[in-house]
Amino acid sequence: MSNGKTNKSTINRRSALIGMGASVGAMAASGSFGFASAQSVAPIKIGFQKHATGIGAAYGRWYDTTTQAATKRINDMGGINGRPVELVIEDDGTDPKRGAEVVEKFATQHNCDVAFGTLFSHVVFGSAPRAGELKLPYFVVSEGHHVASGKLNRYTLQPGITDVKSQVQSMAPFVGDTLGKKVTMIYPDFAFGHDHRDFFSDAIEAQGGEVVAKIAIPPTETTFTRYFPSIPRETEVVYHVMVGPAVLTFVKELGEFFGPSRPEIFGFIDSLEAVDINSPGLEFLEGTYFWEGNPRHAQADQTSHDKAFRAAVGVDDRGASLADSKDVSTYAHMFGCWETLNIIKRGMEAADYQGPADRSRLIEAVEAMTDMPASDDHPQGPKRFNGKTHQTFGQQYISQVKDGKLVCVHTASIEDGLYEDEVDYTTQSF
Amino acid sequence: MYTADMKSNRTRCLTFLLTMFCLLPAAQAQAHASEQGFVLLLPTGLYIAGGTLAVVASILLVTVLSKRALAIIFRPVELGQGWRFNALVTLCNLFATASFVALIGVGLFGPTGPQSNLLPLVIWTVLWVGVFVTQGIFFDVWRWINPWSGLHRLAMGASEPIYKLPAKLGAWPAVALFMMFQVFAIADIAPSDPRRLANVAAGYWIFTFLGMVVFGRKSWLAQVEFLSVLFDLIGRLRPANFACILKLGTLGWNAIERGPLSISLAVFCLLVLGTGSFDGLHETFWWLAKIGINPLEFPGRSAVIWTSSFGMLAASLALISVFAIAVWTGVKCVGKSPNSTFANAFTAFAIAILPIALGYHFAHFLVSFLVQIQYAALAFSDPFQQGWNLFGLGQIQITTGFLKSPASVKTIWLTQAGAVVFSHILSVLMAHHVAGTLVANRKDIVLLQLGISVLMVAYTVFGLWLLATARGM
Repeated sequence: MSNGKTNKSTINRRSALIGMGASVGAMAASGSFGFASAQSVAPIKIGFQKHATGIGAAYGRWYDTTTQAATKRINDMGGINGRPVELVIEDDGTDPKRGAEVVEKFATQHNCDVAFGTLFSHVVFGSAPRAGELKLPYFVVSEGHHVASGKLNRYTLQPGITDVKSQVQSMAPFVGDTLGKKVTMIYPDFAFGHDHRDFFSDAIEAQGGEVVAKIAIPPTETTFTRYFPSIPRETEVVYHVMVGPAVLTFVKELGEFFGPSRPEIFGFIDSLEAVDINSPGLEFLEGTYFWEGNPRHAQADQTSHDKAFRAAVGVDDRGASLADSKDVSTYAHMFGCWETLNIIKRGMEAADYQGPADRSRLIEAVEAMTDMPASDDHPQGPKRFNGKTHQTFGQQYISQVKDGKLVCVHTASIEDGLYEDEVDYTTQSF
Repeated sequence: MYTADMKSNRTRCLTFLLTMFCLLPAAQAQAHASEQGFVLLLPTGLYIAGGTLAVVASILLVTVLSKRALAIIFRPVELGQGWRFNALVTLCNLFATASFVALIGVGLFGPTGPQSNLLPLVIWTVLWVGVFVTQGIFFDVWRWINPWSGLHRLAMGASEPIYKLPAKLGAWPAVALFMMFQVFAIADIAPSDPRRLANVAAGYWIFTFLGMVVFGRKSWLAQVEFLSVLFDLIGRLRPANFACILKLGTLGWNAIERGPLSISLAVFCLLVLGTGSFDGLHETFWWLAKIGINPLEFPGRSAVIWTSSFGMLAASLALISVFAIAVWTGVKCVGKSPNSTFANAFTAFAIAILPIALGYHFAHFLVSFLVQIQYAALAFSDPFQQGWNLFGLGQIQITTGFLKSPASVKTIWLTQAGAVVFSHILSVLMAHHVAGTLVANRKDIVLLQLGISVLMVAYTVFGLWLLATARGM
């Protein structure tokens, strides 16, 4: 698990400033002797824009853990282009304005080669323009559709995690074919919920289904029973994507409302990310379905890649910390940090990246990437990167709660999540 | 990312934390949806009703308690000669000064993350939560660790100051500085940023040192330096006093013994509670809805700097006003009495607000303390990230698992609620005793507290609601 520090196997910031002698010492301490000659061992600096405080802190902690583990692995394998990787961690407070300041610090104070790791969409929106102005490659792990929508810039890429539009779209075939054609959507009444409403409505109609009711819940609501009578009797599937502290109350009240006879229930694990599915009050979830970006519970056909990933990050077969089985991780999302760092590594190697002057070549090298097979670099599964939209696509998983375990019952293919390009960033100049 | 060797040492390395958890009645920091989710599932409405009834019952009970009986409750037992250890304290203060300077160095040149840099962890977790509560309950830790006085005492001794602070200035400068500190803590965009905090802390140390040189240590620390004023006030609640004669008594006896406060210190007490309450309030769905913020999409502190600043000021003024009205109501009910003037009652009753401030401070910060102290232990083991493992704490693995289990969340919540209820009951007792010093007969004692009693019941409901309601920051 993370301790919030720069990876010990890397060369820390101060020693890097002192010079190569200290760097060699740090390499020796890490047991990594694969780095190149002393002249070139100045570290590759990756600025990690961490949600250490603010609304994203619970995610930030596990993004940090995963990032540290991925960095250690890269350094243990010889670093990037023979140089060790050093993480420079700055807290953005899950705040767009602070995010822009942090990006600026990465570029001007810490002399980072790239910035990385942002999750919350509004922070990405706040930070990406500054990254573009400073010509700092900005690798986000956000899921937001903002990158592929064309609203950002050539310096902003999302190569390690699928966006929400693709996720939602790829769920529609399973929902329509297996669970039912008549869907009632329950979602929070703001942009996040609206994205689900709009993307899924289009996708289920393409499958011959229909959304029979759209129930928007005010974001400040903490009790939900009065909304449930609005669910039409003809509903075959309830699609819910509630978030926030009241989500457990939502699930409990939904269960009490329906009792034993209920329609099929499909939700996004975002609602219960980092929450033990066996928690008291969540019994109603038994038999319901969830989208998972990466199956939290190790499956019967677990890949060696997933096994290695869990071991490196320090989580068990139920996605909880090895140190504390109650400390459930944000497993559906945090793989994105791991995979993004590996893509940065490959991009830098392909571009023979030596320093900030090569930043545009790094972006071109990542833009040139296409299919990435499942591997220890990509434990969540294969990816297909679209260099024009700067967005990756990957498999998505649907799990059913069976005896308190999330059992994967369907894997949506990459093709299920593809959609028309909305932008071509490669036409933008550097 | 930890190796097998590290894992094998886990149990030993967690001993420190486990011990701490055991010492606390129950074992955050930041947003933890799961913890809040479990709190929302608890029957907090019943708990709030129960807690409030306990406070109401204490008010009713205290009215039948004789003045003499109450005096006995707050009369300390003398256990013999106390001790001051002045030379040792000076030595510790010097060490604290050196540590403070080192901490600023860590802030300026150490790790960039707020959870890996020792400075923000010491300031916001160890000092602002740990020392605050220790000072109010256990012992006068601030006297030993304050980083201001050691160097000054060594360099200046007891020499006369260049200028004297006017006595009529009271502690108003400290009031102003305390409010600035709270604005920084609650409304600043990044109060935990190590560089930012290091600059603020270094600036304040220089300001304090120069102030002591020019105006004298004693008066500066009593009138201007807000931490010393705060910890002196909170320290008056401690059951044990080691000065001159060792005395042990009920929480709050010393505050009562030291008598009515000056008007500036009375306002200071109210501000400790007012700003602390606003700290809780401004995170709630209720407040965020009032200022037009979607709590599920909180846009960050930068979006609420002004609403937080003015909100805190307004909340503080509101509390002072409500308190004044409550006092005035009691005074009017009693009628003409030489001692129970509004001014006398206002300054006398203010001391009874302190337990509530301490109780809510403990409750509000308990969760974040339990999380952040783990980061502090880790940072303490390796402040400059040189791969050190000082005191065997380096292998601690941060966990928030206790916030993801309904049983432990319930225990934590009940501990928080218990602190709030207990502190109100203590305030009721102190207020009753204070009333007995202002008026003579039992009827007047009850009437004088009428407004204060209503305020305390209402504040119990408010404090418990703050713990129970949904939060979005």
